[in-house]
Amino acid sequence: MDETVAEFIKRTILKIPMNELTTILKAWDFLSENQLQTVNFRQRKESVVQHLIRLCEEKRASLNDAALLDIVYTQFHQHQKVWDVFQMSKGPGEDVDLFDMKQFKNAFKKILQRALKNVTVSFRETEENAIWIRIAWGTQYTKPNQYKPTYVVYYSQTPYAFKSSSTLRRNTPLLGQALTIASKHHQIVKMDLRSRYLDSLKAIVFKQYNQTFETHNSTTPLQERSLGLDINMDSRIIHENKVEKERVQRITQETFGDYSQPQLEFAQYKLETKFKSDLNGSILAEREEPLRCLIKFSSPHLLEALKSLAPAGIADAPLSPLLTCIPNKRKNYFKIRDK
Amino acid sequence: MEQANPLRPDGESKGGVLAHLERLETQVSRSRKQSEELQSVQAQEGALGTKIHKLRHLRDELRAAVRHRRGSVKARIANVEPNRTVEVNEQEALEEKLENVKAVLQAYHFTGLSGKLTSRGVCVCINTAFEGNLLASYFVDLVIQKPFRIHHHSVPVFIPLEEIAAKYLQTNIQHFLFSLCEYLNAYSGRKYQADRLQSDFAALLTGPLQRNPLCNLLSFTYKLDPGGQSFPFCARLLYKDLTATLPTDVTVTCQGEEALSTSWEEQRASHETLFCTKPLHQVFASFARREKLDGSGLLIDCFHCTGNTSEK
Repeated sequence: MDETVAEFIKRTILKIPMNELTTILKAWDFLSENQLQTVNFRQRKESVVQHLIRLCEEKRASLNDAALLDIVYTQFHQHQKVWDVFQMSKGPGEDVDLFDMKQFKNAFKKILQRALKNVTVSFRETEENAIWIRIAWGTQYTKPNQYKPTYVVYYSQTPYAFKSSSTLRRNTPLLGQALTIASKHHQIVKMDLRSRYLDSLKAIVFKQYNQTFETHNSTTPLQERSLGLDINMDSRIIHENKVEKERVQRITQETFGDYSQPQLEFAQYKLETKFKSDLNGSILAEREEPLRCLIKFSSPHLLEALKSLAPAGIADAPLSPLLTCIPNKRKNYFKIRDK
Repeated sequence: MEQANPLRPDGESKGGVLAHLERLETQVSRSRKQSEELQSVQAQEGALGTKIHKLRHLRDELRAAVRHRRGSVKARIANVEPNRTVEVNEQEALEEKLENVKAVLQAYHFTGLSGKLTSRGVCVCINTAFEGNLLASYFVDLVIQKPFRIHHHSVPVFIPLEEIAAKYLQTNIQHFLFSLCEYLNAYSGRKYQADRLQSDFAALLTGPLQRNPLCNLLSFTYKLDPGGQSFPFCARLLYKDLTATLPTDVTVTCQGEEALSTSWEEQRASHETLFCTKPLHQVFASFARREKLDGSGLLIDCFHCTGNTSEK
């Protein structure tokens, strides 16, 4: 086993928290059951790691095996990366997409290897028809840097792919080209959507965040559903402005629905608008140039926070459509200009 | 020892007298306020009291009206059917009607396309089926407002829903729904065939079944006699028509030297035809049956094999 490969595997295993180690090793499926059973996972981490490296040497782990372990680790720790969303499009009158996994993998690898001699490309398929691609970048003269890879998650037979944002931005056009050509599309465009939560991005992009549907079998009539206010709590408590509270609840429910919101960390609005004021003769109103400013809303769970604004009394209901359109428009970066 | 005694006569400290005066002043203002409040409360009480009287009066009027209506309805029914048990029968009849309606609504599922009106439009349910087997259901929640749009749905991501909507949703909703039904039923059918091949006929496959999300490209290797010496066939099925459950292009190749013999060539060609004309799992079912009837599984007449499959 190459020294660099051994070092790479060692550093990857060291990143894994002890309580996840057996799960990740099993998912990696490189070391056999028997081999794993010989390891005492109760020792200090360094000893466990050394034992595992010895086992990998016995089995002659290759660079590809090490890359697969890196993919598995990243799949378990998706939130450590920030993900961008790309949308591809076909030309008009294109043939039906007959996606062939082997063809795709070969074409993708070939395009990258032709452009940059040194590049490591690895693939791992998951059950939800998603292909995880890991690319370690090198140049014509330098070996690939295994410690700064880019990940792409491509859902075959859809136009969408998710890419981990990395600092090596110069390779993004090449990556886009490889993905587009290998998947038989024409164009690729970056969407204004970004988050750490890959599942939420997937739910927004594929419009799968609301999976409740009205059927004739559903037995909860609308009136019975609690409005979250529990008005009948205690007869000694009188709710003033009950009508207003109910109105706010109703509007919130219509806008945000009953389902759990997809998780985003921020929404960013770039404004380039002229100042609008009721007072005539204000200095700002006379400006010809539009004002430029950037407004950023941040939260551990932005959409749930927005949902709770009106019921908490902090904002009026209905909220501005600029805030409520985020999952519908599949954007959390907005540029607002005067019409 | 010097306690605040408002009744102490001597003005040992002016503070004492002034404090006393202050206290008296506050007492007076307090009692004035109280009497004002009392007056306003009494006024409110009076107003609420009259309101209560009015509402009680209204309630009594309504109760009387309801009683009157009930009485007249009863009288009408009594005139038509002089039967004491008529009310109970009515209720039973209504319940029966309700059960019937519920059953009809459930039965709509078997038509493949059913829907329920929602506050903003309609929630359509597409129940897919293949060869009499009820398969997965998919929902599309539509907003009936110009322009029509899809509010949310459970259609798989690889079905070209956006394309179909772009073509038909604004101009012809029926066409949109029927087209979507076609795509979903065809997808379910293809998926069913691929699943059945993997689960029921794994013994005849010599390698894993390669498939893609839409199940419109299937690639596999198989043998007619699983334990035998014969060479495997490689099949590649392309379904270019996404609304069909049978492939548009089939290529069957045979590895090994015996590929050159005419008997293998005949078999190969016949397999190609079979895959083009029959669902995948049925073709393999016929292979499995043939294997039972004919132990060797080697030389099989072309006409014989088509005869076998047409029995089904």
